[in-house]
Amino acid sequence: MKEHILILGGGVIGLASAFSLIRRGFEVTILEKNTCGGQASGAAAGMLAPYSEIMEDPDPFFTFCLDSLRMFRDWQQEIKKASGVDFEYTESGSIYGVYHDSDILSLETRIAWQKTFGSEAQILDGSRLKSLEPAISDEVVAAIYSNEESHVFAPDYVHALKVACEKLGVNIYENLGDIKVESWQSAPILQSPSGQTFTGDKLVICSGAWSQELETIFHIRIPVFPIRGQICAYELGDEQVNHILTSSQGYLVPKSNGTLVNGASEDIAGFSTTVTEKGISRLVNWNKRMLPFLSNKSPFHTWAGLRPATQDGFPLLGSLEGAPHIIFATGHYRNGILLSPKTGETVADLISGIPLDPGTRLAFQPERFN
Amino acid sequence: MNKRNLIIAGKELSSRFFLGTGRYPNPYVQNEAIRVSETAVLTFAIRRANLESPGEDAILQHLDADHSFTYLPNTSGAKTADEAVRIARLAKASGLSDWIKVEISSNEKTLLPDPIETLKATEILVNEGFIVLPYTSDDPILCKKLEQAGASAVMPGGSPIGTGLGILNPYNLSLIIEEAEVPIIVDAGLGSAMDVTQAMELGADGVLMNTPVAKAKDPVKMASAMKLAIEAGRLSYEAGRIPKKRYATASSGLPSSISY
Repeated sequence: MKEHILILGGGVIGLASAFSLIRRGFEVTILEKNTCGGQASGAAAGMLAPYSEIMEDPDPFFTFCLDSLRMFRDWQQEIKKASGVDFEYTESGSIYGVYHDSDILSLETRIAWQKTFGSEAQILDGSRLKSLEPAISDEVVAAIYSNEESHVFAPDYVHALKVACEKLGVNIYENLGDIKVESWQSAPILQSPSGQTFTGDKLVICSGAWSQELETIFHIRIPVFPIRGQICAYELGDEQVNHILTSSQGYLVPKSNGTLVNGASEDIAGFSTTVTEKGISRLVNWNKRMLPFLSNKSPFHTWAGLRPATQDGFPLLGSLEGAPHIIFATGHYRNGILLSPKTGETVADLISGIPLDPGTRLAFQPERFN
Repeated sequence: MNKRNLIIAGKELSSRFFLGTGRYPNPYVQNEAIRVSETAVLTFAIRRANLESPGEDAILQHLDADHSFTYLPNTSGAKTADEAVRIARLAKASGLSDWIKVEISSNEKTLLPDPIETLKATEILVNEGFIVLPYTSDDPILCKKLEQAGASAVMPGGSPIGTGLGILNPYNLSLIIEEAEVPIIVDAGLGSAMDVTQAMELGADGVLMNTPVAKAKDPVKMASAMKLAIEAGRLSYEAGRIPKKRYATASSGLPSSISY
């Protein structure tokens, strides 16, 4: 008989894990308290940009992100094929712009270590930058151009992933409310408030920002905090932007539907996903220093999502030491979309008995905060 | 027990812990680490900050608005005195602070300070009315020259930035402290509470850290550890340690206390 895997949480990580597991022949059930992809996943700007995200030096998290970026091209094709649903995936490249000559040393330091990972990134001066991205501000004196970095349209990607899971036979239960883990020492038993009971052989925890609630169930510390990320979007109209544009203050991502996504203002607001005046105005005040044409435009849409941040910045990914049938895959902070293929495949590996490499295992071990 | 507070350029500081604002895994952990550190002085890279509206800066916006920190903007990334002076002026013009940490490096691998450019920039910025705290190599003569140039405190490194190698030359550092007439803040290279205590026991007036806190497994707990290490090291320095001896001395049963 097929092993039955329960997945708690239908965000991008839960869906990606389900997609990987069902293709390896497991029976898979996703339990989602609201709707799949309704939180951080659907709110994401969809950047696939590990070089822009990890600046100072490479660590196990960076290499995990980079592996995932390099899986994405095939991964997104497989999802499109399995779902029959199209979504934007653009290998646009990215530009990390700086405003002072004194930034160039740090760009050189970054490029130097990035090259050892096969990056073909280069530093561009003002004039070369202009030819690549004509709309960019003259204030930007130099930039790192990373041709590898890409982006997806996150809401469509997550939707396609869900459709792919359904078509391949994943059981998806939504709007269950607060699902309780009734028992897990042996075969996991979960129950919804309405009394629906779910049993399986193994359990994957993909609860994102809500993971800390499980501390008392599993008797481990789960320092995952919700960080609100506020984003706004513009209609591009006649303006053209070719690349992901980032700086120390935020990012701008041009989408194929003619919009420009500008993020993110992070703050600490518990589980609130309200958009604030302060959060959006700092984006609006900053972004014209990257794209001057934005000073004549106003965002047409604003929204916020909760990113599951961890105490040390690394996700919790791995099986519990005393209970190998309980697998954690949570705490991906603002990299859940990027990390979805690598995490999905890793979860499927773990369940198939293939361990993580020792360095990654130690860095991401779920019990490491005890 | 009377605690002697550190005074720099006439300003009394409630803590000897100078903390950097970079590299924290997320804003929540950053704020908590800053809170438990009880630091009074926060440093950040000018080049990365939004000087047009510091309250909207990606990092500075998270700081507790009710708490008044002394900001120590740094010129990290500058390769020459000219570049350092240029961005120092931007920081001052933003109204954030007239304190400045001169940080000039020319080698991308070691990020070690360029002593000649550091001295040059210190002279210029002191003349322009800045409160200058140069980050420098642990050379006693150079540290003295920076003091003579008008630095309000001098900040020799223990080892290269972010390495966590600790204090590579305690002898030099003790000479610098012995000679100094301005506060000496050990900046860069510290890794653990042991390194911090060592710096303070050598007589340093304070320490500046970022990476060892921000990149610890638990940055909040490490901020607390570093705070205690600074206090312990300082108290130990003030209390006066015993001389090192080659052989044992009994700690009880002294002949004078034995009654016959």
